[in-house]
Amino acid sequence: MASRPEVFDSGEWIDWCPGCGNFGIVTALRKALAELGLEPHQVVIVSGIGCSGKTPHFIDAYGVHTLHGRAIPFATGIKLANPDLTVIVSGGDGDLLGIGAGHFVALGRRNLDITVMIHDNQVYGLTKGQASPTLPYGVKTKALPKPNLQDPVNPLMLALASGYTFVARAFSMDVEHLKKIIMEAVKHPGAAVIDILQPCVTYNDVYTTQWYREHIYYLDKEPGWDPVVRKDDERAEKLSKAMIKAMEWGERVPVGILYKDETKTTLEERIEKRIPSYRKAPPARQRIEVQGRPIINKRYFEEIFKRYLVEVED
Amino acid sequence: MQELDEVRFLVGGAQGTGLETAAQVLTTAYAVQGYRVCSFREYYSNIKGRHSYIGVRVNSEAQPAAPRASYHIIAAIDAESVFMHLDDAGKDTLFLYNADLESRRLGELPAIEEETKKYVGETLAGTGYGESLGEAICYIKEVKGARLVPLSFNKVLSEFAESRGIKVFAARRYANTILIAAIALMTGLGLDKLQRGFERRFANRPRVLEDNMALAAIVAKELEQYKNMVPIRRPKRKPRRLIVLSGNDAVAMGKVVAGMRFQSYYPITPAQDESFMLESIENLETSQGQLGGVVVLQTEDEIAAITAAIGAALAGARAATATSGPGFDLMVEALGWAGINEVPVVITLYQRGGPSTGLPTRGQQADLLDALFASHGEFPRIVIASGDHEEAFRDAVLAFNLAERYQTPVIHVLDKFIANSIVTMEPPTPESFEIDRGALVENPDKDYKRFSLEHPISPRVFLGTPGTIVWYTGDEHNEIGHISEDKVNRRLMYEKRMKKLEIAAREIPEEERAILYGDGGDFLLIGWGSVKGAAIEALKVLRDQQGLNGAYLHIRMMEPFPARYVSKVIEEYGVNRVIDVENNYTGQLARVVAMNTGHIVWKRVLKWTGRPIYVDELVHAVPRVLGGEKEVEVLEYGI
Ligand SMILES: Cc1ncc(C[n+]2csc(CCOP(=O)(O)OP(=O)(O)O)c2C)c(N)n1
Ligand code: SF4
Ligand SMILES: [Mg+2]
Repeated sequence: MASRPEVFDSGEWIDWCPGCGNFGIVTALRKALAELGLEPHQVVIVSGIGCSGKTPHFIDAYGVHTLHGRAIPFATGIKLANPDLTVIVSGGDGDLLGIGAGHFVALGRRNLDITVMIHDNQVYGLTKGQASPTLPYGVKTKALPKPNLQDPVNPLMLALASGYTFVARAFSMDVEHLKKIIMEAVKHPGAAVIDILQPCVTYNDVYTTQWYREHIYYLDKEPGWDPVVRKDDERAEKLSKAMIKAMEWGERVPVGILYKDETKTTLEERIEKRIPSYRKAPPARQRIEVQGRPIINKRYFEEIFKRYLVEVED
Repeated sequence: MQELDEVRFLVGGAQGTGLETAAQVLTTAYAVQGYRVCSFREYYSNIKGRHSYIGVRVNSEAQPAAPRASYHIIAAIDAESVFMHLDDAGKDTLFLYNADLESRRLGELPAIEEETKKYVGETLAGTGYGESLGEAICYIKEVKGARLVPLSFNKVLSEFAESRGIKVFAARRYANTILIAAIALMTGLGLDKLQRGFERRFANRPRVLEDNMALAAIVAKELEQYKNMVPIRRPKRKPRRLIVLSGNDAVAMGKVVAGMRFQSYYPITPAQDESFMLESIENLETSQGQLGGVVVLQTEDEIAAITAAIGAALAGARAATATSGPGFDLMVEALGWAGINEVPVVITLYQRGGPSTGLPTRGQQADLLDALFASHGEFPRIVIASGDHEEAFRDAVLAFNLAERYQTPVIHVLDKFIANSIVTMEPPTPESFEIDRGALVENPDKDYKRFSLEHPISPRVFLGTPGTIVWYTGDEHNEIGHISEDKVNRRLMYEKRMKKLEIAAREIPEEERAILYGDGGDFLLIGWGSVKGAAIEALKVLRDQQGLNGAYLHIRMMEPFPARYVSKVIEEYGVNRVIDVENNYTGQLARVVAMNTGHIVWKRVLKWTGRPIYVDELVHAVPRVLGGEKEVEVLEYGI
C-alpha cells in the first residue's frame, strides 16, 4: 500500500522548536501507520508529559495524553480492555525511564502487545533542559549549571532485562529507517520498545544531529546479524549478543533491531487460556446488561458465587 | 436453661492457628440452621504468632451488625488470649481455657506487647492477683464473675491422636477444633449440625473432615456438663438460602453484577481480598455457557492500578481499582486526570488506621476528607460511603451507574470493619438493579465532539469507535480534546464539568443520600459507614433500657452532599440534641456537615483506637454527652 502519511495528520499546529528531532518521529509514525494499512480509529497513541507528550495531538488517531510517567499503565488498561486496538506509547526519556521506570519494567514482564517509543533526547525538554536519566555522567548540556552527577540508565539493557520481546534503536532524523522499525515493532506480537535517538536542538548541544550522523551505524548492514529468537534454547545467546550491542556508545552507536523473541506468549494469550471468551468479548466489548438490567441475573449469580451460598435446612 | 435470642462468643488465639477456620466453620454451621451471624475480626499486622480474636454474634431473629461488649462464651486457645481478654469476661460468661497452661506468666509471653502487659498486669495487681495464668483465671472468676471451663488440651489431643493414629504434635494443629466443638456444644448445636460447617470448609478433604469430627466428639464427651448451657432459640423465620460473605466479597459481587469487567490493584490490607475473590471467579462460567470474564490485573503499584483502570474505562469497560489509604494517596494525581477527562472510573477505598502505615490491619474512618478533597485543582467527583454489607453490595452497583451517568470518578468508601467482618445475607436479586451506562454514541457523525459545550454531559464514544477521533489530555482541552489555554474555552469547559455535580445533586434524591432510622425525638445521632450498625442498635437499647428515644441519621453520600435534608433533620432536633458518632479524632463528618449546612455539631462520640465502636459503649456515652456531662466522649473498648 502506498504511503499516505497525510491520512494520519490531525491538522494541529506542531508547537515544537523548529528543527526538533521530534518532527522526524511524527513523520515516521504517520507513514508507518499508513503503510501498515491501519485506519485512524483502530489506533491509540498514548503519551506522558513533556515535549514528547504532545505527540498524540499531531496524529490523526485516538490520542491519550496522560500524566508524567504513566503512559504505559494507561496503555495497559486500554489494550487489555480492547486487545483489537493498536496501542502505541510515545514518551520522553524522563517520562519512561525516570518517573515511570517501574511501569517500563512491568510492561516488559507482561509482554503485552504494545509498542513503546522512547523520545531519547537526554534532557527534560519541557522543563527547560535538566539532565534526563539517559544523559551520561560528567556531560554538561547547555542548560545545566554543572556537569551531570549521575550515571545514565541504558534503555536497551533495561528493556532486555525486563523481558521486552522486541528491542530496537533508531535515529529520528533517518525517517525512512525509523518508519520501518516502527512498522516491525507494531507488527510484533508482544511488548516492543524503540529507543529513538532524538536531538533536542534547544537544550542538548552535545548529542546533536551532527554527532549522531558521525557515530551511528546500521545493524542490518552488519554481516550475519540475526537478532531473532526462534527457539527457546536460542534465547540466552541472542540476549547476550543484544546486550553487547546495547553497551556500545561513543565511537560507534548501533541502530536497528537488537532483539526479537518470537517464542514467548503474550499476556493476551495467557488471559485467553483462563478466560476462553477473552478475545471474542474483551472487557470493553462484553454485554453486561439486558434491557437495562444486569446480565448476571439471580440464577447466574447463585451459580457464579455458589461457594458463598448456604442452603438453609428446615 | 432459658433460651436466648442471641448468643455471643469470642475465640482468641495466635495468628495462624486456625481462628479464621473456626469462625468460618461455626458461621456456616449456624447459617445452615437459619441463624443470622456476624463475626468481626481483630488481628495484628503479622502472619503468624501474634494475638488475634474473632467476636461472633449468632441471632435467631435479625442480622446483627456491630460488636457487643458482653460474651456468653470466651474460648482461649493460648495463654495470651486469657490475659488479653480478662475484661471481656462478665458474669454471664463461660470462660474456656487450656488448663495445662496455668503456670504461664504474663511477663514471659513475648507476643503481648509491653504496653499491653503493663495495664493487664496493673489490672491484676490492682485487685490483688499475681501474674500467672492461674491467678488471671481466679480474677476472671472472682472479680468478673465468669464461670470457668478448664480443659486439658493435652489430654483431649492425646486421646484424639491415639484414636486417629497420628502423632501428638500433629494433633496440635487441630487445637482450634477444640474451641469450635466446645462452642457448638454449649450453644446446643449438635455434632451433626456442626458437621455441615466442617463439610463446607473441608469439602474435598474427607480425611481432615473425619479428623475434625472425631476430635469434636471427644471434646463433647469431655465437656458434657456444659452442654446446652447457653442455648439459642430456634430461628423464627428461615430464609431458603443465605450467603456468608465478607465486606470485600460483597463489593466484589456487586461489581460483577454491575458489569465491571476490569479491575487493577496493588495488594494492600484490607482491600486485597476483594481482588483475589474477583480473580477466583474471573471466568464467568454458568450452565448457560460463559457470560464473559473479569480481567483482574495485579499492577506494579497503585499509580499503575488507577491509570490502567482509567485506560480500560476509556476503552469502554466498566473498570475499577480497590485500595486503602496509602494506595489511594498514590492514586491522587490520576484521580484529577479522570476528573478533567470525565472518565467513569470507580475507586473502592477501604479505610484502615492511618496516617502512614498507621495500624494497617485495624479500622478507622479517617479518610473521609481525603476522599473528598484529594488531588489538586477542582473537578467533580462522587463519594459514596457504605454502612454495612448490604449497602456495600448495592453501592458497588450504584457507583458504576453514577460514574457513567455523570462521567466522573466515583470513590466508594468502606472500612476495615466492614471489609473483614463476615455476615449472613439473603441472596440479592440482581434483576432488581438497574444498569445505567449514561450517554453513549456508537455511530458518531462527523460533527461529533467528545466534550461538546452544548450540554454539561456530552455523549461518550469508546476508544476505537469508527467515524470519529477523540483526544484526551491532562491539560485543559477544547471540545475535541486538544490542548487549549484560551480563557473563554477554559471558563466554559470548567463550568461544563462542574455543572455535572449540580445535575447529580438535583437528580439523586436527598432521602437516598442520607437515611433516617428511628423517629424518637429525644436526640439524633449522626454518623456514616460502619457506625450504622452500632448506632441503630444503640437506639433500641437506649429506648428499652433507659426510655430515651432517638433517631440515627446515616449519611451515605458525601458528594453531592444531601445538604437540605440533613439541615432539615438537624434543625428539627436543634443542634444541641445532635451527636456526631465517628471512628476518628477530628469528627470529619461533623466538619463536612458544617461545611455544607452551616450547622456545627459539637457533641461528639469518637474513637480512634483502631477498634470498632461497640454498641454498649455508645449506649453508655449518649446520655452523658446529651446531658452535657461531656461535650466529646472518647471510646476505647476492645483490646
Ligand atoms: C508529577 C510531575 N512532576 C513533574 C512534572 C513536570 N515535568 C513536565 S515535563 C517534565 C520532564 C519531561 O522530560 P522528558 O520526559 O524527557 O520529556 P521531553 O520533554 O524531553 O520530551 C517534567 C519533570 C510533571 N508534569 N508532573
Ligand atoms: S525543547 Fe528540545 S525536545 Fe522540546 S521541542 Fe524544543 S527541541 Fe524539541
Ligand atoms: Mg527527554
